[in-house]
Amino acid sequence: MPVLLKAQPVKQFRYSAPWRVSTLWKDRVQQFLFIAPTSFYLVVLTLFPFIYSVYLSLHKVRLTTLHRKLFVGLQNYVNLFHDGVFMEALRNTALLIIASLILEILIGFVMAKVFYEIRRIRWVNGLRSVYLMPVMLTPLSVGVTFGYILNPTLGIMNYLLQCIGLSPVAWLGEPTTAQISILMINVWQWSPFMMLLILAGLTSIPQNIYEAAEVDGAKWHHIVRFVEIPSVRSIIMLGAILRIIDMLRFFDVVYVATRGGPANATMLVTLYAYQEDFQYFDVGQGSAAAVLILIISIVVTTFAVRFMRSIEYEQA
Amino acid sequence: MSRRKAVNQTLLVAVAAGFTFVSTAPLIWMALGAFKTVAEFIAIPPVWIPNFTYLRNFSDLWDNYAPFLLNSLLASVGSTLLTLVLALPTAFGLVHFKMRSANALADWILSTRMMPPIAAAVPLFIIFNWLGLLDSVWALIIGYAGFNLPFAVWVAMSFLRRVPRAVLEAARLDGCSWLQTLMWVALPMCVSGLMTVAIFVFIFSWNEFMLALFLTSRTARTFPVVIASFVATGKVYWEYLSTSTIIQCLPPVILSLVMQRRIVSGMTMGAVKQ
Repeated sequence: MPVLLKAQPVKQFRYSAPWRVSTLWKDRVQQFLFIAPTSFYLVVLTLFPFIYSVYLSLHKVRLTTLHRKLFVGLQNYVNLFHDGVFMEALRNTALLIIASLILEILIGFVMAKVFYEIRRIRWVNGLRSVYLMPVMLTPLSVGVTFGYILNPTLGIMNYLLQCIGLSPVAWLGEPTTAQISILMINVWQWSPFMMLLILAGLTSIPQNIYEAAEVDGAKWHHIVRFVEIPSVRSIIMLGAILRIIDMLRFFDVVYVATRGGPANATMLVTLYAYQEDFQYFDVGQGSAAAVLILIISIVVTTFAVRFMRSIEYEQA
Repeated sequence: MSRRKAVNQTLLVAVAAGFTFVSTAPLIWMALGAFKTVAEFIAIPPVWIPNFTYLRNFSDLWDNYAPFLLNSLLASVGSTLLTLVLALPTAFGLVHFKMRSANALADWILSTRMMPPIAAAVPLFIIFNWLGLLDSVWALIIGYAGFNLPFAVWVAMSFLRRVPRAVLEAARLDGCSWLQTLMWVALPMCVSGLMTVAIFVFIFSWNEFMLALFLTSRTARTFPVVIASFVATGKVYWEYLSTSTIIQCLPPVILSLVMQRRIVSGMTMGAVKQ
């Protein structure tokens, strides 16, 4: 029986009988040793670097001469907003996120509905896990694969277009088509993930609601609109949050397929920060870009953490 | 009515099959390329079915780039082990210890997962430079473990929560230390959850590219970095491109087929269970 549960807060509970002080003390030490290493590790490896990035973003400093730092205040941020490339990267990232989310949710919902309707056929389970495969693939090799497929002269895509009588397209070579190509690659890889989430949501709808709707004479579009969409809304929200967080760090595919080109049409904020840091060695500027990404992430994260605490889906 | 339903079902299966084809075709096309000569690989019209006995690409790649494959494997396995050693006790503690700040701590750990790695790039570069670990697999093991810890802790929490408290209490009363309780009582009760965490952390590390790109330069390069170098330099190494891509994708593909239903809970950090 599928159920929808609220996440339980960690309960307060007392285990050992503290009849001896030394036992209690030993307990405390053990408990400390369970929690402390991870916390320390995360402080050193994530928290400290983030703070240090903020510090670097306020300085003029080059990767090759790290010991020479010149405090420049917010100058790097000012430069950032006067840099056309960064503004373009910001716009491209925003567009990519919005367009991907819409398409992924749409395709994900339709496919979830399809797989939901045919779930009783036994071999469909196998089909579904094959359909899901792109989700697990190495993003970099996805970029390489599509770089080959969409190659203007050697790629199979243009060959197929010509076979059906269409003219070839400069997929990754023209600004607009490159943007669309990157969008399609992203949607290709991640729609199955949305599908899986929404399918989990659909499966958790109790059958008797469907039966009740049928008795009331509901047509299929009524069921979609008044039963299914409201039931999967929170799980779509969860998926959207996870996707936004992932897309803010989207890097591998553009790095290998377009390098941000042509004419910065596929430049994304992560790639911008990476290039400033490790190609132009302008660490101050790169860090300023990174800090802006960080701030956007923090806003999303604040939502996300609260949200992930509040829901927990469970399926029988 | 039932006949119409059957027709509908057939139609839906066809749609699902169509999408599955779209989902897999690019990778299959790449896989076929692994058995082609350079000339066949870039031929137009394309060579649809290659000669599957042509294994030169694989042997060449193995001869020249096997050490980098080993790097990838070492970094992934190493960071998986390190992540588990750190994450499991923490997750257990956050769920079962009497701690006032457990929820806040768990939220903080989750929030570090959401931070973009690029924001930590230069400081990590500086730290590892200072430790003399640049271009070393150790840097990757340590770095990957750091970025996978929050994920591992959260998923581990979601399954450790299901271990009945009474069982742990009994173990404690019988004189087990907390570590013994975790090792011999709690963990054996959730082997499948444990596998989920381990496999996901392995795949995340195996798929990672950006950290490896700037933390390694020569000897410690991982396989994805090597693949990127086949494209990035002036000359494109067509003959290695598809072979290396297939080798790189093989572990995630196999593991994802093995994982099947657990993918949902893994990809949502334990928020959705099946």
